[in-house]
Amino acid sequence: MGEKAETYDSGLGRFVMVTFVLLLLLAVLAVLNIWLGGVKISFGGAISAILGRNPGTFEHDILWKMRLPRMTAGIILGGALALSGFLLQTFFNNPIAGPFVLGISSGAKLVVALVMVFVLSKGSTVNSAMMIASAFIGATLSMGFVLLAARGVKRASALIVSGVMIGYICSAITDFVITFASDESIVNLHHWSRGSFSGTSWSDARVCAIVVTIASGLTFLLSKPIGAYQLGESHAQSVGVNIRAFRAALVLLSSVLCACVTAYAGPISFVGVAAPHLTKAFAKTSKPIIIIPLCFLSGAVFCLGCDLAARTVFAPVEMSVSSVSSLAGAPIVIYIMAGKSRRI
Amino acid sequence: MDRFIRLEQLTVGYDGKPVVRDIEVSLRRGRILSLIGPNGSGKSTILKTITKQLKAIGGAVFIGENSVESLGPREMSRRMAAALTERSKPELMTCGEAAAAGRYPYTGMLGVLSKRDKEKVDEALRIVGVFELKNRLCSEVSDGQLQRITLARAICQEPEIIMLDEPTSFLDIRYAVEILDVLRQMANERGVAVVMSLHELNYAKRVSDLVMCVKDGRVLYLDTPDVIFTEAAISRLYDLPEGTYSQLFGGL
Repeated sequence: MGEKAETYDSGLGRFVMVTFVLLLLLAVLAVLNIWLGGVKISFGGAISAILGRNPGTFEHDILWKMRLPRMTAGIILGGALALSGFLLQTFFNNPIAGPFVLGISSGAKLVVALVMVFVLSKGSTVNSAMMIASAFIGATLSMGFVLLAARGVKRASALIVSGVMIGYICSAITDFVITFASDESIVNLHHWSRGSFSGTSWSDARVCAIVVTIASGLTFLLSKPIGAYQLGESHAQSVGVNIRAFRAALVLLSSVLCACVTAYAGPISFVGVAAPHLTKAFAKTSKPIIIIPLCFLSGAVFCLGCDLAARTVFAPVEMSVSSVSSLAGAPIVIYIMAGKSRRI
Repeated sequence: MDRFIRLEQLTVGYDGKPVVRDIEVSLRRGRILSLIGPNGSGKSTILKTITKQLKAIGGAVFIGENSVESLGPREMSRRMAAALTERSKPELMTCGEAAAAGRYPYTGMLGVLSKRDKEKVDEALRIVGVFELKNRLCSEVSDGQLQRITLARAICQEPEIIMLDEPTSFLDIRYAVEILDVLRQMANERGVAVVMSLHELNYAKRVSDLVMCVKDGRVLYLDTPDVIFTEAAISRLYDLPEGTYSQLFGGL
């Protein structure tokens, strides 16, 4: 164990190092995301397109209308998912809680699908605010069910099982809705309902950026009470945390973050569990003031990596990000469960 | 400051169902009150009501002139520290960090520790005798050591009242005596009032200024240790068959 004299600031050196590594990874993945894809672009062509030298060219359009907004959304939404997971893990004091595992993503997906099918059948279109609002309603409803289930049963494993079941129920209803909605434009829903960053526009990315920045900033400001809460509810209460308000804030923030992701990219699995876990393992601390920013970064790296794989491995056929993130994230969940079976 | 902490006609319980009724007690600064009684008699319920984790069903708790109802979370946290039972081992947290959590009421918006905060934590760790554990992870130390870290946390919170729920339950006799001595020292030197539940009667006898016996939904006795620790009182409190007391506690 690297023991330093300054116990209370021990995480700092590692924080700088882990931040550096994550930023480097993010940069590398960003370059690959811009360069690689179904349409081959030469490296030089990509660079001149980025610099905006030849507007109007094919490369320029591919980059600025497809890859860059998609990449931006991947970074923002990946970070949002990781934070949403971190907040839920804090709330339930359970390392495998997350928006997907607890069925909150699926709840958001269901309400978004219902609203979209309804609005599209009336012949109008769905705007960003409506998407996020309906995703938020869905996320909050699912969260409500999970909280009810958690109240009834004391064991944490039962919490996860009921979350997974709620997730299945919501996904099943979503499938019914989409299957029986015949409208042309609803075909797009198929892709979205499995989780994908494809088709993100700059205006989508901008809305995501605004919502996620606000919610993430507020999450960071909760660092102090989150740290106290990690030592138990009675300790937090004893040092002056307003428990009711604090718990409500955790639920609201995690729902907003998850809703924003689901509204634009559909449910993306396991990022919310895998990213916080990896972050803690590498940063070797659980101090929220360090973990929260790193969590966001690692979620962004994770999602960007998954999206890159989803786009390029079987190009031109595109997989859903969620399939890739499951493949990468689910083993991590199993690992956590195996390692900490006594706590779950 | 006489009668610094007062319970007046306090009735405690869960979901509106009373567990212990009509508790009347007052404690001066620098004094130690121990709660004893059979399992499930409501000792923890009383402690949780004083710390406002539970709402009182009737009556009120006062600290000085103020009822705890009227104190906000921050004010309350500077006056009272609670080290109640919570068997959770925080992940990836050093013992020093866990103790430093007691400085919460004094740090700024993001909870960054100042030099003075760090000194206070170091001092508390030394008082409890766990300074050498400072850099160890909480998950690596024993339950008994963690319990002492919890006490250090309460001490660096610099409260006027410390509340503890069975602070000696995981400790062998040497550490238990050490913890009780620390509490006595805090009471004598800093005028901290201590309220705690205790399982071990010999410890309660050793450390308390005042002992409250809780049984069958009420306070059976409330008096000084030399009055409480008699065969008649203890046998009645724990329903001991005749002769058991002298067998078990004859030496006390």
